[in-house]
Amino acid sequence: MRTDARARARPFRGLAAFLGTEVLVQAHEELAMATSMVVQVVLLVFVWVLNPGLIGVALVGAVLFSMFAMGQRVLNEAAYIRIDHKVSDLYLASPLSAEAYFLGISAGVLLVYLAPVVVVAVLATVVVHLTVADVGLLALLAAAVWLTSASIGYVFSTAFRDNRAIWAYSSLFFNVFGVLPPVFYPFGLFPVALRPVVLLMPPSAAAAILQGVLGAATLTHAELLLAAGGLAGESAGLFAFASYWARRTVRGR
Amino acid sequence: MAAVRSRTRAGRAAVSMSGEALRSDQLRKVYRSKGGPPVEALAGVTMRVARGERVALLGRNGAGKTTFLRIASTLLRPTSGTIEVFGCDVDRAPEKVRPYIAVVPQEGKPFFHLTPREQIYSYLRARGLGRETSKVRTADALERMSLTEFADRLSITLSGGQRQRTMVATVIATEAPLLFLDEPTIGMDPFARRSVWESLRNLTRRGSTILLTTHYLDEADALSQRLYIVDRGTVLVEGTAEDLKRSVGGTLKVLLPQGAAEVERFRSFGSCVPDGESLTVIASPERLGELMDVAVRSHLTATVGPVTLEEAFLRVVGRSINED
Repeated sequence: MRTDARARARPFRGLAAFLGTEVLVQAHEELAMATSMVVQVVLLVFVWVLNPGLIGVALVGAVLFSMFAMGQRVLNEAAYIRIDHKVSDLYLASPLSAEAYFLGISAGVLLVYLAPVVVVAVLATVVVHLTVADVGLLALLAAAVWLTSASIGYVFSTAFRDNRAIWAYSSLFFNVFGVLPPVFYPFGLFPVALRPVVLLMPPSAAAAILQGVLGAATLTHAELLLAAGGLAGESAGLFAFASYWARRTVRGR
Repeated sequence: MAAVRSRTRAGRAAVSMSGEALRSDQLRKVYRSKGGPPVEALAGVTMRVARGERVALLGRNGAGKTTFLRIASTLLRPTSGTIEVFGCDVDRAPEKVRPYIAVVPQEGKPFFHLTPREQIYSYLRARGLGRETSKVRTADALERMSLTEFADRLSITLSGGQRQRTMVATVIATEAPLLFLDEPTIGMDPFARRSVWESLRNLTRRGSTILLTTHYLDEADALSQRLYIVDRGTVLVEGTAEDLKRSVGGTLKVLLPQGAAEVERFRSFGSCVPDGESLTVIASPERLGELMDVAVRSHLTATVGPVTLEEAFLRVVGRSINED
């Protein structure tokens, strides 16, 4: 028996090697990396021109939006290698676990596209005078937003058979949920009646929590609880669901 | 069907490296889509593949070859019936089967932004093989697929045939006990195809089992030790290429490009297969002279050659393998 006989269904088996593959693959996309911050920079310029006093809120929002937008890249990458390359079959019909495949793509996107986000985060730290605790909170919330968006991106990628349809829907989804709610602008400017809705959306929930902590918005206890509980539940729940879904969709029906 | 269900419930979930590499019993697959009628891609396929064998599934496009391969390689669930790999039920315990198989998907392409060397090495590492083993096997597979010269060029710069060779090399390097190859030599030049065939023969000599699909008759003839001809989701015939050629009823084929209209004149010489305007007559060498006399009297040109798998396929399926 030449194949590793110890090979068994272990969650995340083969993750490190597949993650390395994905990082290698995506690190060649220099142009995509360079353009990954275009929307954020444009919105930051708008805010700077219209109201320089809100640039701190917008910088923090740009970090969170960037993490949310990574889900769109996960969606595109997972769909591309499944639909165009069919190389997914090579990996899924192997000892590599389906969970490792999903997380490998997601973490590969994160590692390759993280550098410009860190630059914006450093800028936010300087401009807003974030404390170590604030930075820790920002990192935690950013991680939760990434987890939800990567999970959503992967699950969506399995629903399409044509990349052209994906381009349209992914752009719509991630921009509507990432730009429209109060991510780049203060939570207090959003209509009161619709606030519970945006507190259930990962990027705006994270932004609202941070704005509350930094004193840029006033949140009631209920609102803070809804945002934090919602984000925690969504990130854990969606990650668990995406892991289950990755396993389930290895085999077509 | 009751027997099938009962067997499925009791299906084995432990891998055994003795006995058959693959067996399927009454395997069915029905695709259902919204708004369209269900399509039966497999209509009860029963198949056996012994360890160390090279077996080809031969059939026209849409015959069900890829569906069978996808079910066997744990990528698709069957509608009913059973399929086992090394004695382990594929449907019940796919994760136990996966360490023992490797798949070249149909029309699969390597990552464009990896070199063939990176592609093969990283795939072996993702399968759990060690660094040194992966390195050695990568170099070996590159050499066997004549890819050494291109080993460090990004796949995006390679030709279609070179990319396909990279895919085959990736899977060959695993040395998995059971390899599934879906149209492995598509897009390759004749020289590269022969390299692939030789590598696959070497693998089976070293104990691996190979199940491949192809619609290249020469590939099935040259490579497979046994083949299954499938059409419309059903196995029509199974045997060696020589068995199938013998079953045609003669050792010579006489092609009469304008002979279809004169089919009745040739019936007494052997089996006649009209195809458009042309007519193929399968004949024995003893009656060839007489047949040629009839052709000349009918003002027909004729070419004579040995019977190939093509005639066997035509006789079994009733249509050419390339006919849509």
